[in-house]
Amino acid sequence: MNRYDHDRSIIKACALLVILFAIIQINASAAEAKKFPVPKVEMKKGAIPEKPEKVTLAKNKDGNWRVYVEGKELPIRGAGGAVLPGMLEQLKAAGGNCVRTWGIGTLEDKVAGDERFIDRAYRVGIKVVPGIWVQHERHGFNYDDPASINKQREHVRDCVRKYKNHPAVLVWGLGNEMEGPTSATGSVKVFKEVEELAKIIKEEDPNHPIMTVIASSTPAKVKSVMEYCPSIDILGINTYSSASGTGESLTATGWSKPFAVTEFGVSGHWEVQKTSWGAPYEATSQEKARSFYASHTLVFDTNKGKELCLGTFAFLWGWKQECTSTWYGMYLPTMEKLPQVDAMTKAWTGEWPKNRCPKIKELTSPVYGKTCKPGRAQTAYLEVKDPDGDEMSFTWAMMAESTDLKVGGERESTPPSFPELIQKGDGPDCIFKSPEKTGNYRIFVTVHDGKGGAATANFPFRVE
Amino acid sequence: MKHFIAKLSLCITVAAIFVTIGNIAKAEDDNRSFKLTAKAWDLLAEKKYDEALKVIETCEKLYGAQAKEMQKSLKEYPKNDPKEETEKYWALNDVGTCMYIKGEVLVQKGDKAAAIKAYKSCMNDYGYCQCWDPKGWFWKPAEAAKKKVVELEFDDE
Repeated sequence: MNRYDHDRSIIKACALLVILFAIIQINASAAEAKKFPVPKVEMKKGAIPEKPEKVTLAKNKDGNWRVYVEGKELPIRGAGGAVLPGMLEQLKAAGGNCVRTWGIGTLEDKVAGDERFIDRAYRVGIKVVPGIWVQHERHGFNYDDPASINKQREHVRDCVRKYKNHPAVLVWGLGNEMEGPTSATGSVKVFKEVEELAKIIKEEDPNHPIMTVIASSTPAKVKSVMEYCPSIDILGINTYSSASGTGESLTATGWSKPFAVTEFGVSGHWEVQKTSWGAPYEATSQEKARSFYASHTLVFDTNKGKELCLGTFAFLWGWKQECTSTWYGMYLPTMEKLPQVDAMTKAWTGEWPKNRCPKIKELTSPVYGKTCKPGRAQTAYLEVKDPDGDEMSFTWAMMAESTDLKVGGERESTPPSFPELIQKGDGPDCIFKSPEKTGNYRIFVTVHDGKGGAATANFPFRVE
Repeated sequence: MKHFIAKLSLCITVAAIFVTIGNIAKAEDDNRSFKLTAKAWDLLAEKKYDEALKVIETCEKLYGAQAKEMQKSLKEYPKNDPKEETEKYWALNDVGTCMYIKGEVLVQKGDKAAAIKAYKSCMNDYGYCQCWDPKGWFWKPAEAAKKKVVELEFDDE
């Protein structure tokens, strides 16, 4: 190779790199363009004051317990999550006013505007229930070890000192299902320690009530909180299919302080009917929307015990893989909202949003919840309409059934997908080929209205 | 020969009586309220909706009046502990649960108005019914029916 050829090779290589870079950039902006923009909401400007807003609990004129911020009544219209950039703005636009986190670290996460989560929440006008994580025995924490206990107590004290003067703080969320999510009674040792931690918070901060959160309103657990945790002001209950009856079950157990439903929405994947091979049937987004609406209105406005209910936190304001990629999330990663969000807007404000998501009537297939042979053509059909008459587009996908299932909402990996097996998937009907490899699979469909609204459904099937 | 035929006839008659008594006993056994309720759940799961409705109708016809009497005698849910306290109200529990299942069947059949009527009957006529959940607790069909009514009305909007 002479000098000339050498130079030409370098020029060629550089040109290739430039083209490659340009392609990457174009793809990146295309992916970016697929995301729907963050809604514009009114923002508080200027420096954030280092002054707490005094929060109290009292009954309103109708005899219902409420949170009061500087003397102003605030029925909790809350959500869990909202930590992904743009989600606080979405929550505000949908009529929400409060968000809860599970850990204190979230308050520092950078969100839209490159601001800290807690600062952005203040600017958007969303109050925050900062979660202070209380360790779980199932994760190996030893409640008999004085050193570990002291370390946890100091952590709680530090958290409170750090954030107690932030004006976005509403209530402390002390622990989440630390008593053991699958236990019927909960651990007495843990409840006794929760009381010690609550006393520390009270010593440090006279301005914000304390809530602890347990999994379900099982009488034995509630009685333990009553007996061992007198410093707790509010009981938070994470509950799914039984959310609407929370007030009744708490009052029947003798609970008389305020409560909040701290996680609710669709039936949990452990609560629903399953196929013969154990795959749970997931509700369509429309069925989920019904459940969100009914659970909130019944527990907060109608059912026995509503007078103790401060409000609810819909789960999950964002998206995550838990059993499936769509089971709990109220949004898609494209920032498109699902009908569950519309349902909460209706429940919170009494009005539908301007643009409504498509409504799924039914997803059908000859292999819905059934077994089929490998490598055969199969069909599925989605019956759906858009309440606003928007033109709809469709995305079909096939994924392996998740095998990385965890307890208590811990992080799960996303199973592989098989786009090559979707043979026709650009409309409400789909033709797909069953995989050659035997195993458990799921077909997903997403409908988009092109204006930031979407709807989802899926069904499991098995190849044998 | 005459004698033999007479004996044979007698045997056949006696056997037929036993079979009939057995069938009546079996039918009565199958018509016990908890069996009808279990059958209705199974038929709902098997999507045999018309058969499920027939079974529910039988349960209501046979035990509805007794169930309503039990409902009238109560001012709150019977205690679950001991379990027998709740089980004393067997007719109420089974007919109320059947009304809930009827609502589910009618939803599946696409008859929303009739489904709402069935759910409301579960709530209003048999409101304190309870149903044993094999997971280990009593489940309250009327509470679930109330949620179903709100959901069905929500869907129409």
